[in-house]
Amino acid sequence: MKKYSNSTEVDFVVIGAGAAGGIMAKQLSVAGFSVVVLEQGGWGKYGREHEYNKDEWLNRNLSDDDRLMSDPSRQRNTFRPNDKVKAVPGNHSYGCVVGGGTVTYGGSNWRHLPYEFREASHDPTIPSGTGMADWPVTYEELEPYYTQAEWETGVSGLRVDSPFLAPMSKDYPVPPMPLKSSGALMKTAAAKMGLTVVPGPLAIISQPYMGRGACVNCGICSGYGCQVRARSSSAVTMFPIAEKTGRCEIRVKSYVREITLDNSGRVNGVIYFDAQKREQRQKAKSVILSANAGESARLLLLSKSSRFPDGLANSSGLVGKYVMFGNGAGASGLFEHPLNEYKGVISGAGIVDYVPSDPKRGFYGGGRMTARGYLTPFELGLGGLSPGTPRWGAGYKKALEEEANHRMTINCFVTQLPLETNRIDLDPDVKDEWGLPAMRITSSAHPDDIKNMEFFRKKSIEILEAAGAKKIWAPQVAASRNGAHNRGTCRMGNDPKKSVVDKYHRTHDVANLFVVDGSSFVTGGRNHPTLTIEALAFRAAEHIIQDAKKGALLTKS
Amino acid sequence: MSTKGRSRRSFLVESLTGLNAAWVAANYPGILAAQNYVRKSVEAGQTPRLAVLTESQAVEVEAMTAQIIPTDSTPGAREARCVHFIDRALATFARDKQQAYVQGLQELDTKTRQLYPDAQKFSALTSEQQIKTLTEIEKTPFFETVRVHTIIGFLSRPEHGGNHEKVGWKLIGYDDSLNHKPPFGYYDAQAQS
Repeated sequence: MKKYSNSTEVDFVVIGAGAAGGIMAKQLSVAGFSVVVLEQGGWGKYGREHEYNKDEWLNRNLSDDDRLMSDPSRQRNTFRPNDKVKAVPGNHSYGCVVGGGTVTYGGSNWRHLPYEFREASHDPTIPSGTGMADWPVTYEELEPYYTQAEWETGVSGLRVDSPFLAPMSKDYPVPPMPLKSSGALMKTAAAKMGLTVVPGPLAIISQPYMGRGACVNCGICSGYGCQVRARSSSAVTMFPIAEKTGRCEIRVKSYVREITLDNSGRVNGVIYFDAQKREQRQKAKSVILSANAGESARLLLLSKSSRFPDGLANSSGLVGKYVMFGNGAGASGLFEHPLNEYKGVISGAGIVDYVPSDPKRGFYGGGRMTARGYLTPFELGLGGLSPGTPRWGAGYKKALEEEANHRMTINCFVTQLPLETNRIDLDPDVKDEWGLPAMRITSSAHPDDIKNMEFFRKKSIEILEAAGAKKIWAPQVAASRNGAHNRGTCRMGNDPKKSVVDKYHRTHDVANLFVVDGSSFVTGGRNHPTLTIEALAFRAAEHIIQDAKKGALLTKS
Repeated sequence: MSTKGRSRRSFLVESLTGLNAAWVAANYPGILAAQNYVRKSVEAGQTPRLAVLTESQAVEVEAMTAQIIPTDSTPGAREARCVHFIDRALATFARDKQQAYVQGLQELDTKTRQLYPDAQKFSALTSEQQIKTLTEIEKTPFFETVRVHTIIGFLSRPEHGGNHEKVGWKLIGYDDSLNHKPPFGYYDAQAQS
């Protein structure tokens, strides 16, 4: 792999090696630019994926070198529901390895629907006083990049013509993953209720594709690296291509603490801690921030200067605001015959009829209902039994035997209103392991979000009833507090006073600084952010490359 | 905790000595189960050694695990060798729990004598008495730790010391081949046919 010295001024530093960082690194290096990717996590089993473990006990006790997610005891964070109370230690965690969250995620790859980019101006159910705004990008503009993301990463699925799904200009590159029993039961219910079931689009390949093998339905999936490279993470799709150009260096265990400015107000590089926590500098002509919505916002807020006393690129005061973590609801049921849901991928078929917000419901909100039930042996034994079963003894053992493999769960991924009061900022008291102010999360749900989650909770119960469940339970709905689906903290827009980045992800305040990840989301869609992050990244890369080739981006003004 | 390096066979057999004949008679089925277990593990040439727990501690921990996932018509925590999973965990990933076990077992002993003044130790109680004792402490962090460790030991990969001969996975019908082909379950098979 190409190595650059810290004093070499590279064309681009990309901060964060996740879904977006992988695409930026690959597109920019293939286009001929020099790129250094700084990733705070490690390599994982990059290039030797067959060494990923499928061992639940080991996976709960990974060494710092083998961890794939951030560790809230090191990457500390705090939480409070509102400004009136003091924040308490939180357990926000996100992908932290080359490949980021795409190394371990379930792989759902739904597109946003066309109207999800302009709900603010078109949806009469949106309550007043929220941060809902139209995106500066339309679905039609983004559609080619959705297709590019699906084909360059490898997404399995079935193109279905439906008002509840985004129209596609091209089929998925590989067919959907096999129907599971939860999907079959969902279909039974949907037939009775007149609903639409489609296979879930997944970044997991069902057939060999681009030199990678098909999924073997191993059953130890989400939360684990994929041994057969069937999960289309950026670590097996984007970074190997970037490396082969000979122009891209991926530097792991490199935790950026500040993006630095020159006298003219352009960024000129970054300061980061290496694996030994020694401070290093990397010079760059341009910086791409792809550290995910929480960390990208935090890094901007940490990068204070006389020019930007409230944080870099934060003249709007909006950096960190409108954070959305992703709301959910659902229900579980037990069925007479075994489903064996643990075999195969975690997320199966989906009911899509309730994606749009409906004025008849009396509140704003929609969502997608996905068929699940996947439980690993530990998940079953430690928390997978139905409510009321004994926690130990003969009764526990009986339930363990009887309920194993008979459970189906409906997980709904639903809307979340962006609120200015929900935000990421710097905790005034708590420091992370590197001595930097910890991320502080302030977040509460809008009343419509709660009503919407409750709607989906009840609807999940109805569907399980129609499917013939013998016993059904549904946890109470609750506001989200954190999570890897974080987005919205550097929203995009045309007005520099009301947004942080422009429609091509360039910060309004700094000409050679870009934020390309879930931060730029204006609204949350129906959760499931990854494919939209990727489509936006491909689009951003195209424009950044055009600008860079013209010269303006990479030469000092 | 010291490393005695004594075999499991020896600690189980020795744990039975010193008990009076009446108690042995009253608890014969349970003791028989323990002896059968010991015989089987000896026949299989598997006599794992203790790394962290002393022999007497291991007997008490095993008695707890055998109530958390009891043996009935199918194997339980005893046959899964959960106590060996726990011992190994205390030497490795759960090192930080060593003191909790020492202290928790002392408290268990205190609770046992409080409820049954004539009892010598928890493991010597009848099954009913053990259940009553554990019910009294089931809200304590120590019981929760042992409960979680027992379940994990029952369902984790056998190389960690528990789930011996995959008895835990057999109970829940888990196929560990890590390679499955559809149809996976009853309902998708029905949908295909």
